[in-house]
Amino acid sequence: MSIRFKTLAELKRLLENKDISSYELVNETFKNISSSKTNSFITLDEEVALNKARDFDEGKVDGDLAGIPIAQKDLFCTKNLRTTCGSKILENFIPPYDATVVDNLSAAGSICVGKTNMDEFAMGSSNETSYYGTVRNPWDLERVPGGSSGGSAAAVSEGLVCAATGTDTGGSIRQPAALCGITGIKPTYGRASRWGMIAFASSLDQAGAFARNAEDCALLLNHICSHDSKDSTSISDERENYLDNINNDLKGKKIGIIKEFDISSLNREVQDSFEQSKRIFEALGASFVEVSMPNIRLSVPTYYVVAPAECSSNLSRFDGVKYGYRAKDVDNLEELYVKSRSEGFGDEVKRRILIGTYVLSAGFYDAYYKKAQQSRRMIKNDFVDAFNEVDIIMSPSSPSSAFKIGSKTEDPIEMYLEDLFTISSNLAGVPAMSIPHGFCNGLPIGLQLIGNYLEESKILNFAHQYQKNSDWHFKTPDLGESS
Amino acid sequence: MDNKTVETISYLARLKLDKDKKEKITKDLENIIDFVAELQDLNTEDIVPLSNPLEKVAPKREDSVTSKNRKEAFLSNSPESDQDYFMVPKVVE
Repeated sequence: MSIRFKTLAELKRLLENKDISSYELVNETFKNISSSKTNSFITLDEEVALNKARDFDEGKVDGDLAGIPIAQKDLFCTKNLRTTCGSKILENFIPPYDATVVDNLSAAGSICVGKTNMDEFAMGSSNETSYYGTVRNPWDLERVPGGSSGGSAAAVSEGLVCAATGTDTGGSIRQPAALCGITGIKPTYGRASRWGMIAFASSLDQAGAFARNAEDCALLLNHICSHDSKDSTSISDERENYLDNINNDLKGKKIGIIKEFDISSLNREVQDSFEQSKRIFEALGASFVEVSMPNIRLSVPTYYVVAPAECSSNLSRFDGVKYGYRAKDVDNLEELYVKSRSEGFGDEVKRRILIGTYVLSAGFYDAYYKKAQQSRRMIKNDFVDAFNEVDIIMSPSSPSSAFKIGSKTEDPIEMYLEDLFTISSNLAGVPAMSIPHGFCNGLPIGLQLIGNYLEESKILNFAHQYQKNSDWHFKTPDLGESS
Repeated sequence: MDNKTVETISYLARLKLDKDKKEKITKDLENIIDFVAELQDLNTEDIVPLSNPLEKVAPKREDSVTSKNRKEAFLSNSPESDQDYFMVPKVVE
């Protein structure tokens, strides 16, 4: 039986009915991974995974996700399993503990098969900054999968796993989900614990999920999200069951379209898909309202002050002393720091550390960092105002479909604009997701649904109703010989 | 963004840039700073800076020991350690 492209819910049923054993499932997964051409994984955990599968088959494990193989983004610390964050500096890092998200998913019985490739320290929108090689998009191996969670997105898109974790600091779940034709969700900032996530920009980073559809994402969030006393920004409100409201009626619901996002300047196919998606929601009884968010145009510049500032601070911990790469042949401690960092970090990470150091340095702090924090509040206020009028906000997830590997690496700003539509949700901290909703140049594109604080349920409800009335999420890439 | 500025911030960040990449990185940094410069013209009078979207106050907890000493586990990840210590080049002559 082919397990490729099966959803999480389908695999659960197969296991429950004993149509397949977890061992067969996991074994098949590794077989598929070994013939894959996308470079989605950095590290595999075959022996441990197969043992866990045996345990499940012997009735020793239960839980909502029991016996299901999933993949973890290589940014989450996994106990006794190498965690590189896509960087040379952590090439040999073996965490002595599990991230809370990893812990939660294991407690639900899921089996981690390995760690997925990503842009170095999650800094990138194409996966090209990974020290472990670029991930290739399963829809076209000459193109990027998006980033930074490109390995997770490609692995789900290619049907290697039915689900994977991701993290989203400026679009790192939604943009790759869009470019790989799958569903991905970033919850409200603080809804999932950041403990054990290797920090990039702590006030923006948030864990989330990739799957083949919104219903599977809801099931995953039921375990990914939790209150965690080990993360001081963790939200203590009780977590909902995200499946409870997924079938709610959309009659009378209002969807906001952001006036300041000029969709008419985008590719014709992106515009057409957007219009068609609007009609699907209208047929379900929802209506559209234009909302003005005048400060949203400041999102990308604001982000490229705030994120590098926090990155320069967070990445100062990599000094070659306590863990990670240490340079050889150094004469003194200062040289140890400088050489280890200079040899261990890649160019994009260095660029962002330098920008962050610059905007935080004496004489520039007020002009850049303080100003960006003020504009961040203005952007947040725009969201607060908009959600007084509408239930959710809708936009394209990315300006276009997947681009050719190497085509945007020369100009960092061109790459930064990939996240034009996604960045504002991170600055405000609201939940957002991407669902497949069409094609541009023969490659998948995504529709972004943004919700108010802690309204993950609502965007999942909209997404699920959309998917019950469309078939974009059933489309799969043609894998040629590798399948 | 000139050479001198790049040298200063590289020093602060403890990074040394390769000679052949320095020019490109300087140019990139200049473009990025130009790109974010539009924020400077923004009227932000009376706007309180937002450093965290939730604006939560850090929670307090009992001052009690919550985890046990796992010295070996943490030292084992060090590139160089000696029983109780992380080893670094000599700092005192």
